[in-house]
Amino acid sequence: MRRIRLWLTCFALIASALPAHAEPLKVVASFSILGDLVRNAGGDRVEVSTLVGPNSDSHVYSPTPADAKKIADARLIVVNGLGFEGWLPRLVQSSGSKAKIVTASDGITPLRVGSSADPHAWQSVNNAKIYVTNISRALSVADPAAADQYMANTQAYLTKLDALDREVRDAVSKLPPDRRKVISTHSAFGYFAVAYGIEFIAPLGVSTESEPSARDIARIITQIRQAKIPAVFLENITDPRLVQRISAETGAKVGGTLYSDGLTGEKGDAPTYIDMVRHNIKALTRALGD
Amino acid sequence: MITDTLIAPFTDFEFMRRALAAVIALSLGAAPIGVFLMLRRMSLVGDAMAHAILPGAAIGFLISGLNLFAMTTGGLIAGFAVAILAGLVARNTELKEDASLATFYLVSLALGVTIVSVKGTNIDLLHVLFGNILAMDNQTLFVIAFNATVTLLVLAVIYRPLVIECVDPVFLRTVSRAGAPAHLAFLALVVVNLVNGFHALGTLLGVGLMILPAGIARFWSRDITGMICIAVLSAIASGYAGLVLSFQTGIPSGPAIILVAAVFYIISLLSGSCGGLVRQAFPGRHLEA
Amino acid sequence: MAAQITLRDVTLGYERHPAVHHLSGEVASGALLAVVGPNGAGKSTLFRGLAGILKPLSGSIDLDGLDNRDIAYLPQSVDIDRSFPISVFDFVGTGLWRQTGFFGGMGRRERDRITQALAAVGLNGFENRNIGTLSGGQMQRMLFARVLLQDARLIVLDEPFNAIDAKTSADLLLLVKRWHDEKRTVLAALHDFDLVRTSFPETLLLARGLVAWGPTAQVLTSENLTEARRMCEAFDDTAAACAVDARPSQAA
Repeated sequence: MRRIRLWLTCFALIASALPAHAEPLKVVASFSILGDLVRNAGGDRVEVSTLVGPNSDSHVYSPTPADAKKIADARLIVVNGLGFEGWLPRLVQSSGSKAKIVTASDGITPLRVGSSADPHAWQSVNNAKIYVTNISRALSVADPAAADQYMANTQAYLTKLDALDREVRDAVSKLPPDRRKVISTHSAFGYFAVAYGIEFIAPLGVSTESEPSARDIARIITQIRQAKIPAVFLENITDPRLVQRISAETGAKVGGTLYSDGLTGEKGDAPTYIDMVRHNIKALTRALGD
Repeated sequence: MITDTLIAPFTDFEFMRRALAAVIALSLGAAPIGVFLMLRRMSLVGDAMAHAILPGAAIGFLISGLNLFAMTTGGLIAGFAVAILAGLVARNTELKEDASLATFYLVSLALGVTIVSVKGTNIDLLHVLFGNILAMDNQTLFVIAFNATVTLLVLAVIYRPLVIECVDPVFLRTVSRAGAPAHLAFLALVVVNLVNGFHALGTLLGVGLMILPAGIARFWSRDITGMICIAVLSAIASGYAGLVLSFQTGIPSGPAIILVAAVFYIISLLSGSCGGLVRQAFPGRHLEA
Repeated sequence: MAAQITLRDVTLGYERHPAVHHLSGEVASGALLAVVGPNGAGKSTLFRGLAGILKPLSGSIDLDGLDNRDIAYLPQSVDIDRSFPISVFDFVGTGLWRQTGFFGGMGRRERDRITQALAAVGLNGFENRNIGTLSGGQMQRMLFARVLLQDARLIVLDEPFNAIDAKTSADLLLLVKRWHDEKRTVLAALHDFDLVRTSFPETLLLARGLVAWGPTAQVLTSENLTEARRMCEAFDDTAAACAVDARPSQAA
């Protein structure tokens, strides 16, 4: 009889450990960059799905019924916050999801653009580290059994991010100080500019919607001419012809594409966050270095 | 001072000169078409066409990604298909032009949205497809200019049958077989002007510089040739003044041009010599005979 | 004389309902033919068939080789867009389509011809008026001027004297007689039997099918007219498909 109790206790212990190998934690990330961060923090213990996929525009995203389903099934929803996902609160409410929502940008000092906050905080790698830390904490709360794993993954990733940050600072320091300014069609690099000292001047506002006036264009051209800004960059969402025109009229070099609002697909230049930052700094130094 | 405000923007900045060239070319092509559209009661076709080209652009996108040439060509093909099918249905059945066009463009739009969703990205294709007058590169300028030339040439050829078909379609059917081809050629011109207008300048300008000048001209002339001239001139004037306005005040360029045209329109509506409201209210003493 | 128009068992109609049923006969070249019948008798439908606008449901219409530019058709004027900004001069000028085509210039000679045509219908001084400002009678006269310019071999007039005053009717009738003298073939749909009796040597009495066709005095008899009145105007929604057999022609 005592043997049976012993066996039963063993089985019970084994059985209680089984959930640790069962369902991965279902997490929904609002867009591709967050999705990548969650995957790195969570490893194979999490199953991440993203709402706004690669090569898409989060500012004008329209959720589909499939998205509502993803949210309803999830335990955790990771959002950027700072006004980035205007379409999300209603979607969560209408899907009836019981998932916990974690704002990745908690604890960051936001930059202001006019009267609203600039949401693109991930452009500074240090902010990305805060994002990852927030995500990691939320994962541990949602799935305490795997807390150790999450901690380990996060530490490894944070080390990589540190290295990335140093890479970027090194590259910038090699540029002559008077050449550390660019024109880009998308002023989503505010945090990058503040963190690393490259000035980003944009002809359009923060979102992809607003249309420029002749006065805006004239001002940019005058500014480039007067400040002798060396390079002009394309963004993968807005009208490239406008940038070409400004470049032609000022002699500034057209520098290739910078990625700011989301990752590209697997075969693109920026399939992960780290790849994205690396690609951007390489493109910048190539254009500004000559 | 006046030179500074009105001329300097164009001498100092090449993009302004190109924008002005684009406006002039667009006016030469689009304004005459707009007059005919207005007389044939097809003024809303511009908006319909902006949606109708979506499946063509979507297929171009599916095949070649964000390649403007592919998408514009696709858009043109879709536009032609919708315009010509709508025209044929209107001529051969009881359904009139407006209903025929409405049905086809809705079908086209639904197809377009479906095709885009198959690919999975949510890029606003039409937003990408539509250009901006401040971004005129050589290729786009060439296309608009070529477009205007072709439009004027074709219009010169089909002018007579087009006019007769508007006034007395039964007569044309009894004396000539030119009615249907002329009508279809006209629709083709409409599509080409609209798609190229969108591609170069966006929907607002592409349609706006077609329809508003025609509305303005209606109040100043009782003769179709006079209307066409006034339409072209008012389109060019609106373009010029709108660009200056956008330069001096910071209003986006497309809306600025359309707003200037709207002001001209309201002035014409009130005090135009042919049927303006003020003239109707205060006609002056009647004549002896 | 050769027949200008040969109708072989022609049926014309809308949505398979016959408005003109099994009509056969010939119109000689140079004839002056009045087409009469009650309302709904199929006169306008027949004329549309002759002008080429309506295709026969069965049978054939042979116009002895005339193509559509040799026919002048004057409909009951409802389809004209009066708000279109075109002057009387330009509108009437479209009658010269046959000579000028797409591109032909309107030279001195053409402009003179247009002015003469306007004078012939009594519309001198109206050259620059917009067509929207014309009265019904003036509109009709303008359409006659256009027919004048068309210089056609076959002229088909659908109720040309409706709603116009007696003087205008008389003036336009003179034009019709002039066309007859010029050996053109003229058909006119009319309601005024006195006019028909005095001015038109031949008459076709139509009541959806042929009632009588021949010299006017023999056609406009009271028996024929009574028979025409017995025609049923409405289409029969329950009708079966028509077995093909021609009614014997009653042309004299």
